[in-house]
Amino acid sequence: MATSHSDSETIGSESVENVEQSSESVEARVGWRYTLAQVREDPTAFGGFLVIVAATVVAIVTTIDAVVFEFLAQYQVFAQFGVEKYWLAKTVWMSPIQESADTTALLPPVGIENAYGQGTWAHPLGTDDRGRDILLRLVYGTRIAIMVGVLATAIGLVGGMLVGAVSGYYGGWVDDVLMRLAETLYAIPFLVLVLAFIAAFGRSITFAMIGVGVASIPKFARLIRSRVVSVREDEYVEAAKAAGVRDRNIILRHVIPNSFAPVLVQATLQVGTAIIIIAGLSFLGFGIQPPTPSWGQMLSVSRDHMIADPWFSIWPGLCILVTVVAFNMFGDGLRDALDPRLDN
Amino acid sequence: MSDPLLRVDDLQVQFFTEDGVVRAVDGISFDVHEGELVGLVGESGAGKSVAVSAIMRLVESPGKIVGGRIEFDGETLIEVETGPDGDPYRTEATIPDGELRERIRGREIAIIFQDPMESLNPVFTVGGQLREFIELNRDLSEREAREEAVSMLREVGIPEPEARYGDYPHQFSGGMRQRVLIAMALACEPSLIIADEPTTALDVTVEAQILDLVEDLQDRYGTSFVWVTHDMGVVAEICDRVNVMYLGEIVEQAPVDDLFYETKHPYTTALLESVPRPDQTVEELNPIKGVMPEAIDPPAGCRFHTRCPAAREACTTTNPDCREVGDGDQPHRAACIKHDAFEAAYNGSPPLDAAAQQGFDVSLSGGETDD
Repeated sequence: MATSHSDSETIGSESVENVEQSSESVEARVGWRYTLAQVREDPTAFGGFLVIVAATVVAIVTTIDAVVFEFLAQYQVFAQFGVEKYWLAKTVWMSPIQESADTTALLPPVGIENAYGQGTWAHPLGTDDRGRDILLRLVYGTRIAIMVGVLATAIGLVGGMLVGAVSGYYGGWVDDVLMRLAETLYAIPFLVLVLAFIAAFGRSITFAMIGVGVASIPKFARLIRSRVVSVREDEYVEAAKAAGVRDRNIILRHVIPNSFAPVLVQATLQVGTAIIIIAGLSFLGFGIQPPTPSWGQMLSVSRDHMIADPWFSIWPGLCILVTVVAFNMFGDGLRDALDPRLDN
Repeated sequence: MSDPLLRVDDLQVQFFTEDGVVRAVDGISFDVHEGELVGLVGESGAGKSVAVSAIMRLVESPGKIVGGRIEFDGETLIEVETGPDGDPYRTEATIPDGELRERIRGREIAIIFQDPMESLNPVFTVGGQLREFIELNRDLSEREAREEAVSMLREVGIPEPEARYGDYPHQFSGGMRQRVLIAMALACEPSLIIADEPTTALDVTVEAQILDLVEDLQDRYGTSFVWVTHDMGVVAEICDRVNVMYLGEIVEQAPVDDLFYETKHPYTTALLESVPRPDQTVEELNPIKGVMPEAIDPPAGCRFHTRCPAAREACTTTNPDCREVGDGDQPHRAACIKHDAFEAAYNGSPPLDAAAQQGFDVSLSGGETDD
């Protein structure tokens, strides 16, 4: 009872504030700033947000190091300064892909001893089966996880949004055709669909990513359609129609922005799912190809050493877990923040 | 008199629902001349909103325009005829969808909707939406459209328009939003504005301000209006001519003063008597008895006879059209067979019931109730 009493007190004082500065608080109820402020008040969501930000920063830095530097190394201007792929990593520490002759393979983490030797601070998390530093490879694996997760989701989001919005806005036979197609796609197990896609187009991370994106289109399409069906009845849509706005612009400027909130939540959760799927594909050998470091592929290699040297599997598994949970926590927080019915 | 700007002729709109065909608008005709403010009055469900959305062909499925013709400034917005197979079809005179959207909607005819809270897109700034409409309908560049938008906001009485330009709809009060909607409608300098109960959601002081604003703007721009409302006070305030609608039909058509002082249709009389007055208590209020019948199955004969205090046996069989019944210089039409113009056997016909008969005496002297 004590809790409920204090609750009602809080609610009461809040509503008084709301009345006093109604324009202020109403103003603050939309937009990114408000949403982020809401998320910040939710410790789990904010924790997830921080992990995502950190992972994204790491992903961006490593992408520059791997992709941008590789591109620049083609030009003499940059090459003469020693610019090359993994330049940053090599300068600071060592190459994440080079097998060095002087390190032992399968060294354990610091403080643990195994058949190959004693864990040292030189390789805090140990080394993999080829003597490469696990920590460094985890850091460089973030790039694949985040990039692929976000891009695959973006493909599903954009595709699903267009299909769903057109379907919901026009209704009738357009709706029937598009939604039955989406449901057909939905009926096939996700992983099977992605594998079929890779089988048809080729075994590469690009197609794996596109496959995951395409396979998630129905999920987004159905979600946004359900919102669009109600939004299209709103008076501002009719007002726009009466003002002579084209259907295309009504959909893009009026219908989609007003149907977006649940899709944003779904997209955040979907990034986590996409990371798992891509890691799974890498584990099966369909995703990223060695020697480029990725978490799924590290897991795949560690299979043979799982009993004797479990940390080799644990580290990439832990990375996937933390990242996916972070996206899910952030997504849940976002859902609460964007839900107009919850007055928190 | 010159050709009217808008001529609605025998317009019929039906909704095809699972329960049957709803005849929401059943053969209405009215004109709007240049610079005129024409009222469309009636209870909720009379078909007023459907009628005006049909003007711009905004009636959506399951609704359909199944008959009639709407002409605007020499162009046929829609003409529907019934084919030999009994299915209505659009004639070739009807202008195509694309052209209607490009040339008529927004540019020539604008609509102000009922609910100012819902008519603005909540995720974009007010100024941005106004600018979009201006850019679209007046072929101005973004910068010019922006200046125009700010000056329109000033025109409709929004203080500090530059500062409010970037505000979102929820930061405006109801009255302010209705001003924005009026600015939006006026911004493209249309020759006709359809106002669909624009002040219903506002309180009376704001309503009065908006009405003043509209009259003021109409003087300046010479825009014609079709003003949909159920408020007789608003009608008296601003309309030049009035059409009274009941159950999908127009029952009386008159200049505003004639409508109030020489009421010719019992329904109009009843509507006028239903208006609450300060000197009446709730018990003394004289609302129309009963509720409006479903348009899905309208009563035979005159549609109002089920609630009409002056109804007689003849009313249950004859559904009168709107005929000239006035003696003034301006046309005054009514659809009631008690008038001589109908040559129906009203006078010889027995009254429907005694209770209604009592009200009958009052309604015959209908004009006096407004003194």
